[in-house]
Amino acid sequence: MIGAAVERLRAAPRRAVLAALGVLLASAMAGAAIAVGYGLHTGFDRAARDADMPDVIVRFRPDRRPAVDSILRRLPNLQARSYRTQVDHRQVAGGSGATDNGSIVLVGGRRGYAIVDGRDVDGRADEAVIDRGMAREWGVDVGDRITAGFLGSVRVVGIAVSPDNVAFPLSSVPHVYVSNAWIERLARLPPGRQFFVNEALIWANDPKAVDVLLQQARATSTGIANVRFLTRSGVRVLIDSAAGIVIALLVAFSLVALAAAGVMLAAGASADVQRRLQTIGIQRAIGVSRTAVAAEYGIAAALVGLAAGAIGLTAGALAASGPSTRLLEALNEQPPGAALLPVLGFAVVAIALLVGVAAAWPAWVAAGRPTVALLRGAELGPSRARRLPLAAGGFGALGARLALARRGRAAATLVVLTVSGAVILLMLGLASLVTALRDDPGSVGKRYQLTANLDPSALPAVRAIPGVAAAGTRYVVRGADSFALGEPVELLAFDGDHTRFEDPPLASGRRVRADDEAEIGVGLAQALGIGRGATLAVQLSSGGEARFRVVGTVRALDQDGRVAYVRPRQILDDDPGAAPQIVIRVKPGADQAAIGARLRDLGSVASAVGGATTRNGDFLGILATLLRVVAAIDALVCLCALAQSLALTARERRPTLALLRATGAPAGTVGAVLAGAGLALALPAALLALALEHWVLAPLVGDLAAGYADLSARPQGGQAALVAAGLVGLAVAAAAWTARRAVSEPPVAGLREE
Amino acid sequence: MTVVSARGLVKTYGRGRAARRVLDGADIDAGAGELVAVVGRSGSGKSTLLHVLGALDRPEAGTIEVAGERIDGRPERELTGVRRRKVGFVFQFFHLIPELTGEENVLLPARLPGVRNGAIARGRELIAELGLTDAARRLPHELSGGEQQRLAVARALVHDPPLVLADEPTGNLDSEAGTAVLALLRHAASDGRAVVLVTHDEAATAQADRVLRMRDGRLE
Repeated sequence: MIGAAVERLRAAPRRAVLAALGVLLASAMAGAAIAVGYGLHTGFDRAARDADMPDVIVRFRPDRRPAVDSILRRLPNLQARSYRTQVDHRQVAGGSGATDNGSIVLVGGRRGYAIVDGRDVDGRADEAVIDRGMAREWGVDVGDRITAGFLGSVRVVGIAVSPDNVAFPLSSVPHVYVSNAWIERLARLPPGRQFFVNEALIWANDPKAVDVLLQQARATSTGIANVRFLTRSGVRVLIDSAAGIVIALLVAFSLVALAAAGVMLAAGASADVQRRLQTIGIQRAIGVSRTAVAAEYGIAAALVGLAAGAIGLTAGALAASGPSTRLLEALNEQPPGAALLPVLGFAVVAIALLVGVAAAWPAWVAAGRPTVALLRGAELGPSRARRLPLAAGGFGALGARLALARRGRAAATLVVLTVSGAVILLMLGLASLVTALRDDPGSVGKRYQLTANLDPSALPAVRAIPGVAAAGTRYVVRGADSFALGEPVELLAFDGDHTRFEDPPLASGRRVRADDEAEIGVGLAQALGIGRGATLAVQLSSGGEARFRVVGTVRALDQDGRVAYVRPRQILDDDPGAAPQIVIRVKPGADQAAIGARLRDLGSVASAVGGATTRNGDFLGILATLLRVVAAIDALVCLCALAQSLALTARERRPTLALLRATGAPAGTVGAVLAGAGLALALPAALLALALEHWVLAPLVGDLAAGYADLSARPQGGQAALVAAGLVGLAVAAAAWTARRAVSEPPVAGLREE
Repeated sequence: MTVVSARGLVKTYGRGRAARRVLDGADIDAGAGELVAVVGRSGSGKSTLLHVLGALDRPEAGTIEVAGERIDGRPERELTGVRRRKVGFVFQFFHLIPELTGEENVLLPARLPGVRNGAIARGRELIAELGLTDAARRLPHELSGGEQQRLAVARALVHDPPLVLADEPTGNLDSEAGTAVLALLRHAASDGRAVVLVTHDEAATAQADRVLRMRDGRLE
């Protein structure tokens, strides 16, 4: 049976190649999706295992180590514990980077991080381990020297990955780990004395029963101030919620691609069976069983699926591995490596099975028909032509009729093209969105392009600079909610109407009109569980407190929506010396460099305003590239679906095309017929894709990505036109390819077929 | 006046030991107003002769002239033009496009680029003359075999070709329908065309001005 199947493939190599191409493209998409999806899905567990990540991380105000340990050692389910002293807001510099927001961590005992290059600190002097994100971002290698706050110059002996947070610069804090033993020697602490600690790492005997440990820890930690617990499962939930959207999109699309390939293969197999009805009739007449006939077709297709699937999956996984690895590293996770191979192997088998079943089914149905009917070459299904409401005349219209005559295939192709087109639009829209989030202040409601650190008295001079449309003062004050000190709040204060400079969409209520009113971000409203009419009490960093009545909520993206728009009076009452920024709206087409030069004359360097996430530019760049790659692969799926559909139409309607040529139709007319067939599918698909993306996918993804902000994944007009024109272009290209094949044989060959 | 003239046509099917020379130096002439019938055993090469004369297939050797134009050895693009201007075909299995109405099928050659003006009007006149007005509104599967073949004859004449080639035009019809189709072909010849007819039908040979027999790849 396998020999017969191989013979069938050898007999029609071009058809086998066409089928293989479809499987290959769909498999490539699946391979990319599996590489990214599996990597993201398992990355945290892998990184946590490699790093010996604790089950609970407890952070608290610095306290004596014996006092903390006396509480922890009595906890139930406790397997091990270690302590750290983390010193924040230190100046750290190395390679090409520097920051004032570095963190120096004194470590001892079990670490909770994995060394991915070099070695760990072991008590020797002048040695440090740094974050992988920091090493990559600043170009620091093992053996280089960096400066780390009060420690001065230290030598980097290892690079570490700590999965309890995303990597620098996605997280704004780079970590420098140094040995606690060395620092104690350096500080010449008297015997028996230890540094205060502010972080404890806890490993449980039974990680599933960590709740018991936590409950007891909360109950017994009353003597320790500002205690915050971070569990391993909590970190996982946080990271999964971000990665989940990417995984869901990729998995959904790869399923669509595979389903599309299955549908097209089934259509191809059906046409193949139709062509070979008499052969099947002869097989049945000499006693070949129905199962054997179906198996021959199924095995032949499965062999194609096995080879094309393996190549496609490998190619897709390799293509995605670069961006996927960078994505995982940005999340402080580890790429799957060889662990991906069994998953890809399983996928190859699944694809071969799918392809085999898609091909075996029409053969099974055909072999069930009476042998006499098969020997006569009777059609498989009803093929009686229907009068179609299309404009008479024109060879394009004839092509449309030919394509729509096979309603099942036309519908399947239409679905494939529609979904693929919508996914392309979504990917392009998302790519534009992430680029805009990085670069365009307007994407997050900011209507100013420049900021300058000048005294408010300079405002008239700034407004007088040619090209400046408006200028105002903006105060930014960080604080915490008075009732939940762990919840950060950023107060953004403008004199007068803030929507002149920052105009986040209003989700509910109204804008601020008085000094004691606030519009709060939806993210803050969700975090604090407050809304319109509630009181927002903010503990300011200067020590005072400001209270506002919430009059509205806004969809702001900055700080995850944990912001409040207010008037500056209360802030200035608390801290009269608070320094504002001057924000500058530039006239369209004005020269920002010239304005910057004038601001320098006034005594300040102008800063260009970026999007919400300028800090994570590289990460967003990777994401945008990944999205555009997916869109490009999807376009290839469209081309394959169109080419396959037209090739089948041309094959089935070989006598019709031959008749046209017999009556003197030139190659261009044959091309027009096939272009009409392609456009009959591509044009409605383009319109349906636009509708599907606009009304279903974009709102869904926008809500999934950030419920606290207005994120529009809708494509720009140019992108929609590009995709529509692209589908039309693909239809014409597929028609040209099919027409070229159709006219390469003498017309009589097609006429003989009848 | 000679409309089609062929000399020394050679055409072989298959390769090696399976090779079979179906045309082996065949010669044929047909003049304007003449209906020539070609008879012979099944597989004797009658249909291949028509295909070669009508530029649907290429001979390995020999010369062909249609309406004063040599067509042997010409590229496919030029052969397409010859078929469009100078040849009309009628096939045994009608070859009507199932999605098009009778009229749309008849007018198909008239809509091709490069076909002389007035072909569409001529097609509609033909439909009326042949009594096919009702059939012209229907799809092929709603028509009898005779109606379908008469529409096919109308399609072959719509662009007013000097040469009409008919391959077993009555092979799938009952005698009454066959008679009607033969009458149309006779009428087409009487209008000044050359009609070459391949047939097994004695009634068809009775209508012919000359009958040629295909034997061993040659015409006698």
